[in-house]
Amino acid sequence: MSLLRNITSGLRSLFRKEQVNRELDEELGEYLEMAAVEKMKQGMSRQDALRAVRLEGGSLDGTKEIVRSGGWESVVDTLWRDLLFAARMLRKSPGFTLVAMLTLALGIGGNTAVFSVMNTVLLRYLPLPNPQQLVFLRLPNAPPDGVSSTGDVDRSFSYPVFEALRKEHAVFSDLMAYVPLAVDKVAVRIGGDPEEAEGDMVSGNFFSGLGVSFTRGRGFALEDETAHASVVVLSYSYWTTRFGRSPSAIGQTIYVKGVPFTVIGVTAQGFYGVEPASSTDFWIPLQNRPELTAWDEEPSLDTLYGTPKWWCIQLIGRLVPGVTESQALAKLDPVFQSAALIGLGTPDPKAKKNILAFSSTQGIQGLREYYQKPIQILLAMVGLVLAIACANVSMLLVARNSTRAREFSVRMALGAGRGRLLRQTLTESFLLVAGGAAFGWMFAISGSQALAAWSGMEIPFVLDSRVLLFTLAISISCAIIFGLAPLRRAVSVPVGVTLKTSNATAYRDQRSSWSGKVVVASQMALCLVLLVGSGLLVRSLRNYQTLPLGLRVDGLLVFGTDPFSVHSDEEKEHFYQDLLARLREAPDVESATLVSHRLGSGWGWNSVWTIDGVEPQGPFSEIGMSANHVGPDFCHTLGIPILRGRDVTDADTRSAPKVVLVNETFSNRFFPKGDALGHSVGKNKPENSFTVVGVIGDSKYKRVDEKSKPTLYFPFAQNTPIPNMQVELRTHSNPEALIPSVHAVLHGLDPNLPIQKPMTQRAQFDKSYSQARLFARLSIFFGVIAVLLVATGLYGTLAYRVDRRTSEIGVRMALGAQHGQVLWLILRESLLVSGAAILAGVPVAIAGARLMRSMLFGVQPGDMISFLLALFGVILVALAASIIPARRAMRVDPMVALRYE
Amino acid sequence: MADKPSDLVQGTLDMLILKTLALEPMHGYGISVRIEQMSKGVFRLNAGSLFLAIQRLERDRLIDGEWKPTENNRRARYYTLTAKGRKRLDSETREWSRQVTAIARILEAS
Repeated sequence: MSLLRNITSGLRSLFRKEQVNRELDEELGEYLEMAAVEKMKQGMSRQDALRAVRLEGGSLDGTKEIVRSGGWESVVDTLWRDLLFAARMLRKSPGFTLVAMLTLALGIGGNTAVFSVMNTVLLRYLPLPNPQQLVFLRLPNAPPDGVSSTGDVDRSFSYPVFEALRKEHAVFSDLMAYVPLAVDKVAVRIGGDPEEAEGDMVSGNFFSGLGVSFTRGRGFALEDETAHASVVVLSYSYWTTRFGRSPSAIGQTIYVKGVPFTVIGVTAQGFYGVEPASSTDFWIPLQNRPELTAWDEEPSLDTLYGTPKWWCIQLIGRLVPGVTESQALAKLDPVFQSAALIGLGTPDPKAKKNILAFSSTQGIQGLREYYQKPIQILLAMVGLVLAIACANVSMLLVARNSTRAREFSVRMALGAGRGRLLRQTLTESFLLVAGGAAFGWMFAISGSQALAAWSGMEIPFVLDSRVLLFTLAISISCAIIFGLAPLRRAVSVPVGVTLKTSNATAYRDQRSSWSGKVVVASQMALCLVLLVGSGLLVRSLRNYQTLPLGLRVDGLLVFGTDPFSVHSDEEKEHFYQDLLARLREAPDVESATLVSHRLGSGWGWNSVWTIDGVEPQGPFSEIGMSANHVGPDFCHTLGIPILRGRDVTDADTRSAPKVVLVNETFSNRFFPKGDALGHSVGKNKPENSFTVVGVIGDSKYKRVDEKSKPTLYFPFAQNTPIPNMQVELRTHSNPEALIPSVHAVLHGLDPNLPIQKPMTQRAQFDKSYSQARLFARLSIFFGVIAVLLVATGLYGTLAYRVDRRTSEIGVRMALGAQHGQVLWLILRESLLVSGAAILAGVPVAIAGARLMRSMLFGVQPGDMISFLLALFGVILVALAASIIPARRAMRVDPMVALRYE
Repeated sequence: MADKPSDLVQGTLDMLILKTLALEPMHGYGISVRIEQMSKGVFRLNAGSLFLAIQRLERDRLIDGEWKPTENNRRARYYTLTAKGRKRLDSETREWSRQVTAIARILEAS
């Protein structure tokens, strides 16, 4: 109650200041009057009485000031006045204000954007209730021998293991299973045209256990899982892009690989699945149909729902509150051990131990390990930019405040305390930083969107409260540093000195001119470190871009197919022969071929084959081979040179004699005499033997930066079972212009067939070093900002110093100094500073470059060219920033300079 | 020493004002005169600390202020003790005499 009254009364004096003042005046006036009347009764004249009262009680204004400062509102009032005054001072020098705010905005915005990436990838929990209780289940020792697993060996479990573990209600309040319908996207049809989308099959408790909320409709129930119900839940983003957020989406039918599903719900905004590196578009309950196998595997007894032989489903559990991870694992272990052996017969006592483990759900699965180091380096780089920006702004402030030394001296002489001046400069720097942070936040919003786009991530980098806190923290520390640094200089000047001397020769001491040089030198040193870092990354990128790929990469279009309605090898061979024949007829298509593993996609097929029936001996690194299924005209279409023998042709069918092409590395390693042709390569059974009919040039397979491996190219129909194939088309025109005609051809074959991930082969290869490109681009960006900041900082400092030395230069010139000597006077200073910066910066840069080793490609951390370029860059900046002030110094007219004094 | 007005013991001004107002409603000058008289000139208030204390007490709702005409036809702000103020005065008085007795006991012991 009294607090409330205190506040209302305080607010009243703030907002009805005049009335409150008048009342106080009246009350105090009355008090004086009464006291005076009292004195007059004792015989004083009125004038004497009033004077005596004032002598005793102090002046009316003084008393008013005391009373007014008693309430909390007076603090607000002075703060407000400080703010108004600071704003007025900043408005008076708009150039300074704008430059300072923009500089800060760049620094703060850059840091915020990079931190938002770090937050999303490394720190943030899934946007679900109590996310700390969620754990991923892991298999650090891989699944038992004798079962097949997925590419995610350390996180894929079997159905029996899931069924056994989900009953452990003392450990998990819920255990959820999810398994993708395909490695990537799956064929989907909504209405007329086929397309593709990313879908998972999940257990019935998936949504309820995670605590996902729904925008529309409902999630799954356990009955949906046991009945393998034909219902589907859409993600918010898929609902948005595909259905335009129409409420009528509920109840519609979606054909997944031709099987109809009814939409029953849409998840809440912000939920992208539990592994949000790429967002999941829809979820269906676990299915037992042969069309809908986990990971789109060929249906067989060992790949259907419920099999113990295929470890394919991934698990995420919600721990019962109060159960620690180690307690949980101890309780689960016996259950897991027996469930892991279901269906595997008697266990081999020497077999490796099966281990169950948990991993945190913080950050993004799969990206955390991959991006941790680069993000930290990036954060360090952008931190350097902020340091340079801060140094710039504080130098600006120092320069500005030392010209204000007179103002400060006058105010101190008039009785302002140092505390009052301190508060004033602090308020000004807070205003500057607040403006900078506001601009910076806007930068960060667009910056983080750009980062998301560049890095190819499908989820947005959210600027949440943690990021906001980070921004506020760095901004406030900036503000405090800025506020204190310049003031120390300004108030340490003795009042008398400043008031007596003229502006031009205003107080200068050796120490302060030193500290300016030190700041500029350290800025340049930081800039050098940044430039070395960007130089190394850019040279790595050049190496990626100019690496010979071993094939003619331009003019190629690649896309995937998934003929899910075609099953037998016979049908499949026919389907692809038909497809190739139709595509060759399409306009602008020069030639067409097939590959099972798309080049440059990072996926590959690695194994060991026998040569002439004998398995080569040695470590896998030496005898391991890559292989690919390829179509007719493979070398011709891709532009790979044939060294000996022939290309794959239309005649290499399933019934024709089995043949294989090998690459040059294969030939050199296993047939050093160059007589590979005619030998045989095989696997397991004698009838699985292929005759080498061609030796072709080495070309890049999985990614740009791989080493050449012995590689085999099998005609696609001869090495069964025939997998789904990717199509490569060569054209004279723009490859992407072929996409519509490809659509038409596919539609003619089967209206349910989508065209999967069509892109140029060049773009596909570029993707294999997209991370390197992203970081190279960003580091160039940061490097350029650093150079600009350092250049403006150095220019500002030098210009300011030349300005102050005008009279000195005038005297020198009057005494006969030549232009060259004056020029040297100024240049020498900046060269000395650069020299010091280089001496300090090179060791730091060497250390920094070592930390970046893992991000470099084909460049050593000590790369001379990068260092020389960076040194050259720094010196160039120093010279460029000195030229204008130096020329101004040369033009000083001795007479004018002296008269000015 | 006896002639010179002495400084108030820290924190007692509020209690003295409340006590003064417990007798009858009064304006600021009246309060200061009354305190001076009752203390026989030992305590003399300056206007600044008096009105600061009044503002504080009023915000805490221990006293209420009201503009009223004075005897010579001007107006002054008269303060009355609220119920809450009376309670506060009682508790502060009790606390004060407890402390005074205790201090006296210490000083007399030897």
